[in-house]
Amino acid sequence: MPHQESLTVIDQIKPGQIGPLKELLGTLAEHRDTWEVIPFGKLPALHFARLVVFDETKDLAGTVVPARLALLTNIDAPLDAHLHALATLGGDGLDRVFGHCHDFPAPGARTVGSRTDYLRGHAVPSRVFYVNRQGRSVQQITQEAALRRAIDGFLDTRDFSGKSPLEVRKAIQEFVRTQPDLGWATSPAEPPSRRWRTREALHKVLMAAAAVILSPIVLVSLPIWLLLLRRHETRDVPDPSQASADHVRTFRADEDFGGQNQILAVGFFKPGWFRKLTATAILGLTDYAVRHIYNRGSLSGLNTIHFARWVPLDDDKRMFFSSNYDGSLESYMNDFIDKAAWGLNAIFSNGDGFPRAAYLFCGGITDEQAYKRFLPTRQVQSRVWYSAYKNLSTKNIANNAEIRQALFAPLDQDQTDAWLRRFGVGNELPAPALVARLLNRIPWERTCRHWS
Amino acid sequence: MPALELTDIQGIILRGYGSLRGACFVLLAVDDPGATKRWLGELDLRSGQTRPSAADTCVNIAFTYGGLARLGFSSDSLAMFAGEFREGMTATKHRQRILGDLGESQPEGWRWGGPRGERVDLLLMLYAADEQIEQTYQRHAGRFPGAGLRVIERLTTIFLPGRKEHFGFRDGIAQPLIEGFDEPGRPGNTVAAGEFVLGYVNAYGQYTQRPLLSPAQDPQGILPSTPTASGSRDFGRNGSYLVFRQLSQDVGTFWRFLDDKTRTAAGAADPAARLKLASKMVGRWPSGAPLVKTPDADNPQLADDDDFLYHGSGDAHGFKCPVGSHVRRSNPRDALEPDPGSERSIEVGKRHRIIRRGRAYGPPLATSMEPTDMLAAGDATQERGLHFICFNTHIGRQFEFIQHTWVNNPKFDGLYTDDDPLIGDRGADDKDEAGTFTVQATPVRTRVVGLPRFVHVRGGAYFFMPGIRAVRFLATLPAPV
Repeated sequence: MPHQESLTVIDQIKPGQIGPLKELLGTLAEHRDTWEVIPFGKLPALHFARLVVFDETKDLAGTVVPARLALLTNIDAPLDAHLHALATLGGDGLDRVFGHCHDFPAPGARTVGSRTDYLRGHAVPSRVFYVNRQGRSVQQITQEAALRRAIDGFLDTRDFSGKSPLEVRKAIQEFVRTQPDLGWATSPAEPPSRRWRTREALHKVLMAAAAVILSPIVLVSLPIWLLLLRRHETRDVPDPSQASADHVRTFRADEDFGGQNQILAVGFFKPGWFRKLTATAILGLTDYAVRHIYNRGSLSGLNTIHFARWVPLDDDKRMFFSSNYDGSLESYMNDFIDKAAWGLNAIFSNGDGFPRAAYLFCGGITDEQAYKRFLPTRQVQSRVWYSAYKNLSTKNIANNAEIRQALFAPLDQDQTDAWLRRFGVGNELPAPALVARLLNRIPWERTCRHWS
Repeated sequence: MPALELTDIQGIILRGYGSLRGACFVLLAVDDPGATKRWLGELDLRSGQTRPSAADTCVNIAFTYGGLARLGFSSDSLAMFAGEFREGMTATKHRQRILGDLGESQPEGWRWGGPRGERVDLLLMLYAADEQIEQTYQRHAGRFPGAGLRVIERLTTIFLPGRKEHFGFRDGIAQPLIEGFDEPGRPGNTVAAGEFVLGYVNAYGQYTQRPLLSPAQDPQGILPSTPTASGSRDFGRNGSYLVFRQLSQDVGTFWRFLDDKTRTAAGAADPAARLKLASKMVGRWPSGAPLVKTPDADNPQLADDDDFLYHGSGDAHGFKCPVGSHVRRSNPRDALEPDPGSERSIEVGKRHRIIRRGRAYGPPLATSMEPTDMLAAGDATQERGLHFICFNTHIGRQFEFIQHTWVNNPKFDGLYTDDDPLIGDRGADDKDEAGTFTVQATPVRTRVVGLPRFVHVRGGAYFFMPGIRAVRFLATLPAPV
């Protein structure tokens, strides 16, 4: 199975075109099932997609930052195939949407080739790209959902009381074998390509080695960095402003039509080299962490995110964060505070106006009210949003994958019991990696009480 | 931690008035604010200082956002209330999705509180002995005309035998204990006072936002000062948000559905299986005994037993009390991330608790409350249900979170299409597929699909129940200009 990638295409909107463009895009609530202009549902290997308009604004120095349009997709590799699909199946829609933008080919020059070149030329790499679990293609996710549904239907037709776990498992295996459309399920899912896995393994080792080599320099400069950090933190000015009730309602109106939701927030970096340097280092560590440490579906207990990304904008003056997640925004914000505050503080406290952090990891979003007031002031509407599997939670996807993976594998008695439990409820996630377990044990709340 | 100001907190927040079996909730509109304020100034409100005796009469009062505005509470102060309260229970489609108020339960069809109903400004809560409640109501009602008040709805209640709700199960057992007020109980059940009473530290160690007034706005110095010595006068202190939902229960449909799903292969009724499946759905037996402690049969000796966890009591997998059951999902104790079964899990859960003060209404389908009798009674046209009432200080993180993230969420704790089997909205309108109830078991689960919606919403509103001094303050407000 292929690995997953993120694509972000950004271009400046032509003067005077922002109104017509917004009209064309409409709002998420208006077309939550299908949006006709770009038929995302017809593009193969596409997990999530969205279109976002960043309004014209001013940076911290007062310079005008022009309005921009962004297309965000989460896809199965290879990227070239996705670009080709966008330029062909989605070509007409792409013309209509990106035709409002500065650099898009003129009407006479719009070919598959010129569109693909445009997309590639305006793609901005994610600084951090989080995938709930690498290697699950759209096809695998939808197939495994159908498998679990079929087995559930089969279980409903039989009375297994008094049978042994092994007998139930054999009956399920027998059922799957007799289903012609489930033939693919008789073998486990393929891992991502050897090339990709090798690249990731090398990244893991080389980056760790680099860290070891650089550690003396880091250790020596740590006290100075800490001193500077505290100086910055005490001088930072949290943004006390509050979004109007109407503004907040525009976001809520697009939320909670099903189990999944989306969010996008954008902000400027705090001025000066120190914050830029800190942010770069932390984002580098985050990239490493989500690829090699928190890569089994859970960020210290936060397991509702399908995909997330941090992407720089406007020559690194600002950055946006976007994610596709399960549940309501209220529960998402509580998850951030309750489960992953330290990590998110380390990143977002380098952003302008963020609730005051202490020692990088503490404070910040644990000020519940300040954080919940701050977020809507930085949020940007996703005007078009697509999900290939709206009715599946991250836990459903993980559970379905475990059911399929072990369907014909040799299991001992305990494993058989655990496998059968997956048809009752899918809340047993794989154990986190060792380093993740160690990080999860840090008592942040207690430690931070002393520090902030 | 500072002790609670018991004499200033309205009694129903801290105490359930269990000794008073009569209760009546009066929804009122203010037609003459001046007259209403005079009446307010003389109203004898029960505080939380002492538990009422059986001969007492208790009166408490709460206000809608519109009601406070009508009495002349300034708009800049109103703006400091929580967004959910300012917006109201029915104002947006989004809130209807969050609460499951769609389809047959949409506010357009509500008896009160909906967009078609009359404006509700006040909620007057009267409690007395059963035989005294009518007289108590009449005594108060006699003063309404002179107080510029008009009755929108008088909601009566009933005390069902065994403190049951209409489906036949003992209700109101699990309640959080309030730090600084209640004696410590089972570990993990004592919650910061600020989660239920404003002006005290909440579960995040903060003071929840509430209206703070300048000394000039309180010239008579009626209001308490803020606990943080800011010089402001604290209108919110000792107050709480009151969530009111009139929930109609379709008792006949409930038991007929269970009867149908548990018939033997030969088609005969199986009362034991019927009762067991119903109890699996609730998570407690009719007596109240928790399934975690007695999974195979009811045990009335455990009727009020609340001393259990899920992972910590050997039921991580839901084999005793199903993961999707009503009590497990509305108060998951130690069952959820991070790290189920841990102290951390319990701490996170404490940020989503409510104090419940509801009362049943309408005659029982069968006075014995026995399923067999309820089935034999057929379906009377009479409506019955629960006047659900709860208190919290952050409606979005407490009541609404429980409703959306736990009760109505088919994906709760790794499930697929299981919303709350008892009170779930069945994926009303265009939400995810729902209406499945899975019973985790060995060697493999069983499940029931196609659950109809058993509980419908007939009315509701968000109220604010101020501290007693804050009520007095309202009574002195100058007329709005």
